[in-house]
Amino acid sequence: MLRKKEAQGLDSSSDQNWVLSSLEHDQLVGAKKHHIPRRHLKGPELLVLWALRIYLLFMMAVVVYQVWIAAH
Amino acid sequence: MSIGAESQQTRIGTDAEVVVVTHEDVDRAHDRVRVSAARAQRGLFSRARLLWLLVGPGVLVMLGENDGPSMLSYAATGAKFGIGFFLPFVALTFCMAIVVQEMTVRLGAATHRGHAELIFERFGPFWGWFSMIDLGIGNFLTLITEFIAIRAGLGFFGVPPWMAILIALVILYSALMSHRYWTWERITLAAAAFNLVFIPVALMTHPNWHTVGHAFITWQPLPGFNKDTLLIVLADIGATVTPWMLFFQQSATVDKGLTTKDIRFGRIDTVLGAALATAAAVATILATAPLFAHQMSAENFQAAEFAQALQPLIGRFGASLFALGMVEAGIVASITISTSSAYAFGEVTHRPHSLNLPMGQGKAFYSVLTLCAAAAAAIVLIPGLPLVYVVLVVNVVAVLAMPPALVFLFMLVNDREIMGDLISPVWANLLSTAVVVILTAAGVLFGISVIAPNIFAALGGK
Repeated sequence: MLRKKEAQGLDSSSDQNWVLSSLEHDQLVGAKKHHIPRRHLKGPELLVLWALRIYLLFMMAVVVYQVWIAAH
Repeated sequence: MSIGAESQQTRIGTDAEVVVVTHEDVDRAHDRVRVSAARAQRGLFSRARLLWLLVGPGVLVMLGENDGPSMLSYAATGAKFGIGFFLPFVALTFCMAIVVQEMTVRLGAATHRGHAELIFERFGPFWGWFSMIDLGIGNFLTLITEFIAIRAGLGFFGVPPWMAILIALVILYSALMSHRYWTWERITLAAAAFNLVFIPVALMTHPNWHTVGHAFITWQPLPGFNKDTLLIVLADIGATVTPWMLFFQQSATVDKGLTTKDIRFGRIDTVLGAALATAAAVATILATAPLFAHQMSAENFQAAEFAQALQPLIGRFGASLFALGMVEAGIVASITISTSSAYAFGEVTHRPHSLNLPMGQGKAFYSVLTLCAAAAAAIVLIPGLPLVYVVLVVNVVAVLAMPPALVFLFMLVNDREIMGDLISPVWANLLSTAVVVILTAAGVLFGISVIAPNIFAALGGK
């Protein structure tokens, strides 16, 4: 039954309803066009995000420095 | 209008509330119907069938992370330190991976959105692009190392580098040809199962099980505290928890169509994957431990060189299995990592992104996936590239990029507006905080070892 539907595509409204009833509404590709509202980041959260960003940039510089040492 | 027609989508409902049904929805609906049918039945067989239908992302992400550089790290660990501290340590790192990856299952099932998409929508493009740059650079560098492993592994059998790379790209492309998530997942799972080939290789070395048991219970003997040990510690952590895993498992959970009802099976999938990956990782350490016992220096071994070094101990067949294991590790990871890049690209650019897409509708998705892999493969063919050094740097970069990625995950999974009652419990938050602290501390120690190596010397190291 399923294979037959797969091969033929959705030809009737019952088939379309079958898809809609099989999936949760949020699972539909069309439903994902609705954006999730932006979250307002609080002070401590921003502090952690910036601290980790600086940490990462600094450590990447360390990696580049190590590569440069190894290359020379 | 039918699926397969020119527009490839069906609109039903009134103008006020039009629901668009796409080809991707139809494929996912087929998968969900099978899951619902299995769930409706009782009995052991139905439970087993449900598990079979729902496993995939967790096993793939864990065995995918047992990739070329990871297996090389485990091989180097066994050859350099033998049986001891690193056996339970590697098992511990997979426990960390379970804690982290379980959060992505919940996020994907609760929101039906990919990780990159959620970061962009909840935190905005400023933080979203930072996250994407981390992922893009990390994934590309890691992809290069996968092709290094493939090249080295097939090199053991005398396959020239260009042929090895071509074989890998053909396999990667073949897995995509079904244009069906389910088929792609099963093909990749079948390939990933070959990661367990390291277990018979370990058995061929006849490990002393009393020593193995003693190491797991006591974490002894401890390695010396020095720069080399730290590098191996970092490489082994980088071999189990990396940013691409977060993005891949969440996106694959969404693409597979898992819902909140499936979270329990998503957890089983993740733990099963971690158990299989731990077995393969521990087996690799055991397989190369005889090199430590025979005082063979494995400082700069590549994948094929480990196989060659093991040949006098376990024979040609065992060494061939080891080399094939390296090839498999590289191929499966190149599939999953390039897929993770393509998912993230589609999510942030709002282009179709699913392995259920026909080629015509998923041109951008499949192009990014293929181009990432092809570009990384081409770099491996550059003559004179210090391949071993690239592998080392990639593992370190993976560890360094993990804390910022984990904080985004932590914030998302504790966001009641999108997670509802599925936010993390306190114990899970404590565990994930511990993982962030451990990874950050490991990164800081690495930084100190590079900038001020004398501090390590003062502590008794070298």
